[in-house]
Amino acid sequence: MDSLRIPILKIGDILIASIQVALHDASAVQFKDDLLQKIHDTRAKGVIIDLTALDVVDSFIGRLIADITAMAGLMGTRVVLTGLQPAVAITLVELGLELPRVLTALNLEKGLTMMQRLTEESDDGSA
Amino acid sequence: MGQLKTAVIRSDLDIVIARTMARDVAKALGFGAIDQARIATAVSELARNIFLYAGTGNVTVREIDKNVRKGIEIVCEDQGPGIANIDLVMQDGYSTSRGMGMGLPGAKRLMDEFIIRSTENVGTTITCRKWRS
Repeated sequence: MDSLRIPILKIGDILIASIQVALHDASAVQFKDDLLQKIHDTRAKGVIIDLTALDVVDSFIGRLIADITAMAGLMGTRVVLTGLQPAVAITLVELGLELPRVLTALNLEKGLTMMQRLTEESDDGSA
Repeated sequence: MGQLKTAVIRSDLDIVIARTMARDVAKALGFGAIDQARIATAVSELARNIFLYAGTGNVTVREIDKNVRKGIEIVCEDQGPGIANIDLVMQDGYSTSRGMGMGLPGAKRLMDEFIIRSTENVGTTITCRKWRS
């Protein structure tokens, strides 16, 4: 079965992926593979994953996001998660998935500011 | 008693269909946005368990009443291998497959009532309820 592909946009050294539809498991795994390949191809310094449109993040997607963050980190790329809805944040914590190692920002704009700071720090060699 | 709605779980696509159905019923019953997310997330976890462990099964959602309180009841049934040790699977972090071991204990925390009936090599039925505040 064809899985749905999430578009990944490149702006400067940063990749942005905005997830607009409910992901089933296969398309979520496809997204992880696409994103890691795109990080490799573009040598992106940072990735922003925007989840504003998602009204459910279950343990499968939560684990996938934690995995993407760890895998991108191994490749030298920072990940910032943006736009988690209040109900999603509440259910993730109640579910037991606090994603302690995942950087987050309230919205895409704040995420971009955070990412600029993070990537500038790494340019200085101070991070 | 309200109308029954059923989703058959056969693939990972059906997990999304089942949780969307549960959310729609919860919304129609007057549950707020956060409870809708809790209910949809719990159904996602339970439907994924059916898909991962039994392959196929059913998720049924209906409205329930108890002394003027209204609620939602979700029944997840499969004829899979069953759960040998229910106490063990209800522990955080216990997983036999691709999950994080959050599925069942996580779903339980999101709902008000959570009952597992399971017989090895016969199947599993999980009934859970949430009451409208």
